[in-house]
Amino acid sequence: MSNKNIKVKDYIIKSAADFFTPIGLVLGLYIILHGHLSPGGGFQGGVIVASAVVLIYLGYGFEVSTKTFKPNVLKKSEAIGALMYTFFALLGIFYAANFCRNVFFNVGNPGDLFSSGTIFLMNAAVGYKVLTGVGFLILLMFGLLANKEE
Amino acid sequence: MKKFLTYFSLTVFLIIGCYTALEMAKLAPTFDGQKINVVELYNNPKNYDYNDADGVANLMVKQTIDKTHAINAVTAIVFDFRGYDTLGESFVLFTAISGTVVILRNAMKGRAD
Repeated sequence: MSNKNIKVKDYIIKSAADFFTPIGLVLGLYIILHGHLSPGGGFQGGVIVASAVVLIYLGYGFEVSTKTFKPNVLKKSEAIGALMYTFFALLGIFYAANFCRNVFFNVGNPGDLFSSGTIFLMNAAVGYKVLTGVGFLILLMFGLLANKEE
Repeated sequence: MKKFLTYFSLTVFLIIGCYTALEMAKLAPTFDGQKINVVELYNNPKNYDYNDADGVANLMVKQTIDKTHAINAVTAIVFDFRGYDTLGESFVLFTAISGTVVILRNAMKGRAD
């Protein structure tokens, strides 16, 4: 199971993965949700969340990481994220304006979490898409790495 | 039939593109640079008066919070003013991952999913 070049399931790496996985998940989700208030956004936060896949692979091996993040679900979720972005962009056409128009931007004050209309929703859609996509990509490459060993 | 549909759709795209280009050429320019004194801007950029600048860049810098209610100006530009660009960016990522799946599918057969 364990590759010659990459050491997995080691005791020190396992405790480090236990410590850093929740921090990475919470920080990534914070960056995705606060994309319109603080530096960052969907792309950056999604990549930070996808680093949890790497940590779980290093701590527990390939089989546990495929059990935790199922590749089929991730593959479909990425397409769902892309469709969500397109739907939020199409909302402008439903409200009789042009494509990608921010139609209900004046809900809430500037500075609130639920403000700025479709920017918040598009940010969440892009974050969901990037975290599932990059997570699936990492899982695919680790599967190749684990397959070569046998 | 398939070839006919391909050429028909390409012709429709070409006609719509030419029509849009001709219509857009008639519109007023968004940034013509008439109000900018280039020599003065080059000589002392710190003391230049930016208040009468025209164009989209001026609007993006000064009216971001009024137009989008988003405090982070970069996110406001990326997801609102440049929404098409972000759509293309995310689909580039989607295409890259699809290509990776197609290439690596034979290599990890019977493994993972």
